[in-house]
Amino acid sequence: MSDMMLLFPIFVPVFLGAVMFLVPGKAKWVKEALLLIGTAVTLVVSILFFGKNMDFVLPWGGFGMDLSLKLYQFSSFILLSVAVFAFLIALYSVVSMKGHEQAKKFYAYMLLTLGFVSGAVLANNLIILLFFWEGLLVLLFAMIMTGGKKASPTAVKALVLNGVADLCLLLGVGITVFISGTAAMDKINLPMDFWGSFAFALMMIGAIGKAGSMPFHSWIPDAAIDAPLPFMALLPAALEKLLGIYLLTRISLDLFIFQPGSGMSIAMMTIGAVTILLAVMMALIQKNFKRLLSYHAISQVGYMILGIGTALPIGIVGGLFHMINNAMYKSALFLTGGSVEKQAGTTDLEKLGGLGRKMPITFTCFFITAAAISGVPPLNGFFSKELIFEGAAESGLVFYIVALLGAFFTAASFLKLGHAAFLGKRRTEHDNVREAPWPMLVPMIIIAAGCILFGVYNALPLNNLIQPVLGAKLGGESFAGILPASWLLAGISVGVLVLALANHFFGVKRTKSGLGAVDHIHYAPGLKTVYKWAELRYFDPYNIGMVIVGGISKVLWWVDRGIDWVYDKFTVRLVNILSLGIRKAHTGSHRLYIAWALGGMALLAVLVAVLI
Amino acid sequence: MMGQILLSLAIFVPVAGSFFLPLAGKLSSRFRNILAFVLVSVSFIASAAMLPSALSGGQANYWQIELPLGLTFGFLGDGLAVFMAMVSSFIGAIIVLYSIGYMSHYNNQNEYYLLVVLFIGSMMGLVYSTNLIFLYVFWEIAAIVCWRLIGFFREKETVKRADKAFLVTVFGALVMLIGFFLIYQQTGTFDMLQMKGVQISDWAVALILVGIFAKSATLPLHTWLPDAGVAPSPVTSLLHAAVLVKIGVYAYARFFLVNFAMNPVWHIVVPIVVGLSAIVSAGAAIIEKDIKRLIAYSTVSQLGFIFLGLSTGSILGIAGGLLYILMHGLAKGGLFLCAGIVEQNAGTKDITKMGGLIKVMPVTAVTFIFCAFSVMGLPPFGGFFSKYLVISGAVSSEQAWIALAFIVGAILTIIYLLRAFTMVFMGETKLAGFEDIREGSRTMLVSVSVLAGLSLAAGILINYPSAFVQTIVQQMAVVIR
Repeated sequence: MSDMMLLFPIFVPVFLGAVMFLVPGKAKWVKEALLLIGTAVTLVVSILFFGKNMDFVLPWGGFGMDLSLKLYQFSSFILLSVAVFAFLIALYSVVSMKGHEQAKKFYAYMLLTLGFVSGAVLANNLIILLFFWEGLLVLLFAMIMTGGKKASPTAVKALVLNGVADLCLLLGVGITVFISGTAAMDKINLPMDFWGSFAFALMMIGAIGKAGSMPFHSWIPDAAIDAPLPFMALLPAALEKLLGIYLLTRISLDLFIFQPGSGMSIAMMTIGAVTILLAVMMALIQKNFKRLLSYHAISQVGYMILGIGTALPIGIVGGLFHMINNAMYKSALFLTGGSVEKQAGTTDLEKLGGLGRKMPITFTCFFITAAAISGVPPLNGFFSKELIFEGAAESGLVFYIVALLGAFFTAASFLKLGHAAFLGKRRTEHDNVREAPWPMLVPMIIIAAGCILFGVYNALPLNNLIQPVLGAKLGGESFAGILPASWLLAGISVGVLVLALANHFFGVKRTKSGLGAVDHIHYAPGLKTVYKWAELRYFDPYNIGMVIVGGISKVLWWVDRGIDWVYDKFTVRLVNILSLGIRKAHTGSHRLYIAWALGGMALLAVLVAVLI
Repeated sequence: MMGQILLSLAIFVPVAGSFFLPLAGKLSSRFRNILAFVLVSVSFIASAAMLPSALSGGQANYWQIELPLGLTFGFLGDGLAVFMAMVSSFIGAIIVLYSIGYMSHYNNQNEYYLLVVLFIGSMMGLVYSTNLIFLYVFWEIAAIVCWRLIGFFREKETVKRADKAFLVTVFGALVMLIGFFLIYQQTGTFDMLQMKGVQISDWAVALILVGIFAKSATLPLHTWLPDAGVAPSPVTSLLHAAVLVKIGVYAYARFFLVNFAMNPVWHIVVPIVVGLSAIVSAGAAIIEKDIKRLIAYSTVSQLGFIFLGLSTGSILGIAGGLLYILMHGLAKGGLFLCAGIVEQNAGTKDITKMGGLIKVMPVTAVTFIFCAFSVMGLPPFGGFFSKYLVISGAVSSEQAWIALAFIVGAILTIIYLLRAFTMVFMGETKLAGFEDIREGSRTMLVSVSVLAGLSLAAGILINYPSAFVQTIVQQMAVVIR
């Protein structure tokens, strides 16, 4: 296999995506075929690539900006995951986006996104990484825009929040390249001195921003409502997480010497812990299927950041395992949400209920994946969470407790969601709801089966995909196995799940409805007000940031106006005052003017005479 | 010999040819329009033809005449000059093409085309000049032409704004002229080729910088530029993208990167000044409601990035600054031309009164956002590379804090451009008679599409401009650090 083939997963989807724009709007099946071919080819190529080592360099931008790509164990693993999700979601979108007026554009952006993500994963040059990484911003904006007229504020919000993170990454890349004297990622290994830590922090912001961590998260719940559903399953649930956590792992493992107990490690774990807890608290009270899921898309990334932030092998393995698990169950959950929306016409939980009988396959998939995200043994989420718990417990008790609390609320909110959507009384208008068509079901079934496989047989992903990433740092240890390493921690986790179940029954009994299962938490004294403010978006970092930017801009605008005043008013007045005396000499009298002219000429003559 | 002829063509065809345009206009307006486009295109083609010899040093593209009083009248087409001339004349030609559609409803078109072509011609003269005095002369010709063009619509307020622009830039130029005399005092010549590598005094640098900042609208000499938005849109586009504000930037590169050495303290002072300029004007752009003023503040802010690149003294930064001139020219030219279409067809410049225009102006909307992405510095658009290089140039001259300030500027850029885009093209419309609003004329749409397409192409094919810039940087004699 020629190393040139590394260009395939980038250029094939980008090319087909560009071709997509040329397809006439009325042509049937052409755009769908292009989408499926593009994602399928990428999938085949990345399967062929798996486990291989390849390098490819093409001089491009000059000034150290060479198109340098590198395939090795880690990047081939991420590339494969990206391709799998892209293909499955493409299959799903072909049906779910059918008849959508922006379907063509959406497919084109999907292919372009796939190409850019592949580029970012394969890049071995930080500037090239940045190129593909930031290029995704444009596509993100465009994809949300396909959601229709109301989507544009959300698209702006997404671009601004991600833009801030990406510009931090840009500065971080600039500093890293300067300190290390090279942009080649496989050659960089920097100590964390002042500038090293600064660069690390900036690049970390870029990575977690892409992954959707706090405080760069608040566009995700809005996009859940405004953007087409496959977008949510593709980007915030799967690809962005893979990409963000990939970079976070790269900078923690390779690019910088990142030590447990260091200030950066504690900062990272704190971001992770805060994200877990606050986002899951918000998920708990949501009354919309998609919005509820989107808060979990934020909360789960907290676990990954917490795991990697420990800088301990067990935490990093856990974080990576959680990354791939989350991409699986989260995208499948969004897909179940999509089929509910498509079949029942709404994702508003107040209008749903009792759909389990009408949509048994969707419900089964939901059940499995919801159990996986809640950490029910022996599904995949349980094992990755246990690893993170162990890492967190070793790093600081407070992190462990927060992570446990997160697990409790996660389980509670999924019990509520499942109950409200699929169980309970069915509304009469949903009597004719049917199961979703097969192309929508197949991706869900495959992913749900994967959740079981990766749990029961966790040696498969751990030994083949994840642990090789750490290589020698692991010291030959393996975390695979169906039995938990620490019975104590596993016991506590199961206990928390039981508590969540008890809490659910308490809540349901209290309010007589699945949707009200957590009302006693939502409306608890104290929390009630905080929740109210949160729902009013008082805590939205975007809104807060915009208020600050608006205030500062106003001040800067007045500074600018002040300068303008100097020109428009002050200078004019000054000149008027200064010219008062001279003005008196200009009375309009011709005689006086002639006298002035003659006097001047005489003076000139004298001057010339003296000089010559 | 060939080089000398090309050099003369590039300068004198538009300068001299412009005066024939009113005559041509008496014959037929169509002929005049085509002739105007041809004159500017000749400049571009001649400059492009000089490219190979310019990249190998530019000695072939040189001639000069000895004048009395020890003055010389000379021109040189080296890499930097040819680069700048190509950027200006290309964007200038696109803008002339656009004018054909835009200006067709207005009076005094003969005067308009004369001025526009002379404007571009004076830029060519300035760019290729080797003598400070003649550089100054072209500088002032540009100022006079610009004064007439800003005041083209002849209303009282318009003329007042034109006077303001003229007074500020001429004030700067006169101060700069004093600086030139200081240099003459030191070196005994105005010929730049004879004083390569001379370290000039801080006074001379400071005086020249006043001229440069006045022309390139940098804080605190910038407020004339937003006010100049009363000009016809193609003129504003020309001012911002191709000719006027790029004069100062070019002069900076010519004086302080190619010719003179200066006290290294300026590598710290200039970035701070332009950093303030970039942030203050970005803040003003966020508040501004007039679309042309908004984009004008954006120019002031982006000029800060160009100056940052050129001034920190690192090779990466200089390369970034030069690329920025190209990328910003393409994108900002496009933005103003789009704004022109919007303003002419929607009948207002107030973005709070627009909305939803993407429905009736899809081409304009898409080209606008393309150009906006490039100005924001998002890949795969060309602006990404120039922004990255400028920032990393600041970092590699160990001024990471300044780089951080510019990152703030870049964030504000994203905010104000998206705000402009969404308020003009997205959401519900607030315009009366929305259904009757039409897209711009065909030549106008072609012009904006070319600029938007090139903004994208310049990113994907970055290797070409980048190799060009790399050669220019190597040619530069005085690169500190």
